[in-house]
Amino acid sequence: MKRIVCVGNRYKPEDASGVLVYDCLAATRLPPDVEVIDGGLAGLDLLRFVEKTDRVVFVDAVSGFGPPGTIVVLTREEAMGRTPVVYSHDAGLAYLLGVLQRVVDGPLPEIRVIGIEGVADGRVIRAAADLCIEIAVDGDAGEHGRLDQVAGASS
Amino acid sequence: MTATLNHPAKRSVTRTLDIPLNRVEGDLSIRVELDSGRVSEAWSSGTMYRGIENILLGRGPLDGLVITPRICGICSTAHLTAASKALDSISGIQPPPDAIRVRNLALMAELLQSDVRQTFLTFAADFTNGAYQRHPLHEEALRRYAPMKGETAIDVIRQTRKIVEIVAILGGQWPHSSYMVPGGVAGVPSLADLLQCQHLLAGYRAWYERRILGCSIDRWGEVRSGADLDNWLHECAAHRDSDLGFFIRFARQNGLDRIGGGHGNFISFGLLDLPPGTEVRSRNGSTTHLMGGGFARGAHITPFDPANVTEHVAHSWYVDYPAGRHPFEGETRPYATGEESQKYSWAKAPRYADLPAETGPLAEMVVSRNPLFADLLTSGPSVLTRQLARLVRPAELMPAMQQWLSEICPDGTFYDPASAITEGEGFGTVDAARGALGHWVRIEGGSIQRYQIITPTAWNGSPRDSGHVRGPWEEALIGTPVADPENPVEVGHVVRSFDPCLVCTVHALRGRCSLACRDL
Repeated sequence: MKRIVCVGNRYKPEDASGVLVYDCLAATRLPPDVEVIDGGLAGLDLLRFVEKTDRVVFVDAVSGFGPPGTIVVLTREEAMGRTPVVYSHDAGLAYLLGVLQRVVDGPLPEIRVIGIEGVADGRVIRAAADLCIEIAVDGDAGEHGRLDQVAGASS
Repeated sequence: MTATLNHPAKRSVTRTLDIPLNRVEGDLSIRVELDSGRVSEAWSSGTMYRGIENILLGRGPLDGLVITPRICGICSTAHLTAASKALDSISGIQPPPDAIRVRNLALMAELLQSDVRQTFLTFAADFTNGAYQRHPLHEEALRRYAPMKGETAIDVIRQTRKIVEIVAILGGQWPHSSYMVPGGVAGVPSLADLLQCQHLLAGYRAWYERRILGCSIDRWGEVRSGADLDNWLHECAAHRDSDLGFFIRFARQNGLDRIGGGHGNFISFGLLDLPPGTEVRSRNGSTTHLMGGGFARGAHITPFDPANVTEHVAHSWYVDYPAGRHPFEGETRPYATGEESQKYSWAKAPRYADLPAETGPLAEMVVSRNPLFADLLTSGPSVLTRQLARLVRPAELMPAMQQWLSEICPDGTFYDPASAITEGEGFGTVDAARGALGHWVRIEGGSIQRYQIITPTAWNGSPRDSGHVRGPWEEALIGTPVADPENPVEVGHVVRSFDPCLVCTVHALRGRCSLACRDL
């Protein structure tokens, strides 16, 4: 089982990209063995979707990674940063990813985060949705330089 | 955080601190003035416009059931409950008792998670602050509460993730469920569902008693005064070394029982509707709620009257109107320009009988005449009493939850069909994780004509009102000693004891180098 977990708030345009990707994927015939989740604002409560699965692709809005429209693919370590985050009401994906290793039941799945910079148009959302499926099915292991290519091609 | 010197001619130097409480909310900013090392003035500013109320205008009557749970990722069930109750009141239908039980259980699961997470992942994280580096309990605080690795912190995450599965089981979806509808709930729990909920709750209770209380809920219930609390603390190592015991020891040794007082006014809309025929009894004799609502001014407690609720905007970035307005007459017309010296927050200023009022677990304990908190408050509210009320609220909830789970009959009635709602006015009130929450709704011609929401943090974090009276945590900050203006951890203790929740809406990852929110 592979999961695509879409995160964000559809009522805040700068934070809506993840759930717009959900809308796109929900209207798409997904490969067998791939499940898509509307993660909304659940933050730490997304933990249960990281268990009993081989690979999880999170998709969320990001800022500070490039010009609007940029799509980045991050590893868990890249997305969580290096400094501990203190839990709060707005502790989202970074907190979940940071604490994951200590709280997950069972083996830690392969994790990627697809980040979409800024308020995205339909073309970017579609591209991100396609990328979610691609990585959920095949992963991105071994494709060195892939991160920069994706970011560059979509910005 | 920036600091500037003001009034250099005065003998005592006044210093202004602008404190973005990023760790609490990216959208809350606190500004304080320090005079001789103590807070002499305070302003609380909500820095982001929400506009949810305006998004709802013109939409279908049921749309609030879907949209308002997305106001917040932590208390979405509370918003769903308030939205449903508002529509219940318009349609004139009382949901069947088992529907009330199901609604309550989901809301209570949310409270159990929120109370424990806020205490040990957010509030107690300040115990690891460098300001306490030389304190004898600092090392133990780090072992317990260090962000993302403390023993208690990790255990809290592991346990609190499970309890909200009750919401998923009863609501058919988690997160952002919309299974409550006017007239009841949309799903009927099976016997297997109820057994699974009982199993989850029993596991959480056993953990809470062992790790958090260090005793049974029954034993904790015998603590009815400050003297009882002292005896309990010194009774055995299990009490002293529990997280509750450690919290009390740390808080007392660091003066948290002497800061964060406030106005001493408390409001509760009533915690959890009692379903007709239940065996669960209210602690204060209320026939309507597990913990009956009301308004307390000092020791004087009066029943809650929704007619006394108003909102002021004199210091909020909205088009002015004189004094306060009842939410049925309320409006949300943003006005961010001009009057910069007077207006300083996107939060409105709710008032009860024109008075500011604190809400949350401590207010519930006070209004429902809990004997322990009545005794502790004889010397006034404080950070310690406010946080203690939150920490022990689960002990009030879990026995009632177990009883309600046993009372539900899967073959019973969970929905009383409501006719289409095309006209009318109603409101739904509930005590959410952070306190009194209300939705006031008017439907005209089959669509929403007015939707006014007053959240708990609007009560607690309100700016000044038209009489220039400070909001609750602005007032609670006055007199707080700040040892190091570069690390004003004391200000954080006071504000976080209210469990502020201004928004819970923007969850974007920030750039690689700025992911870490700075400590206060």
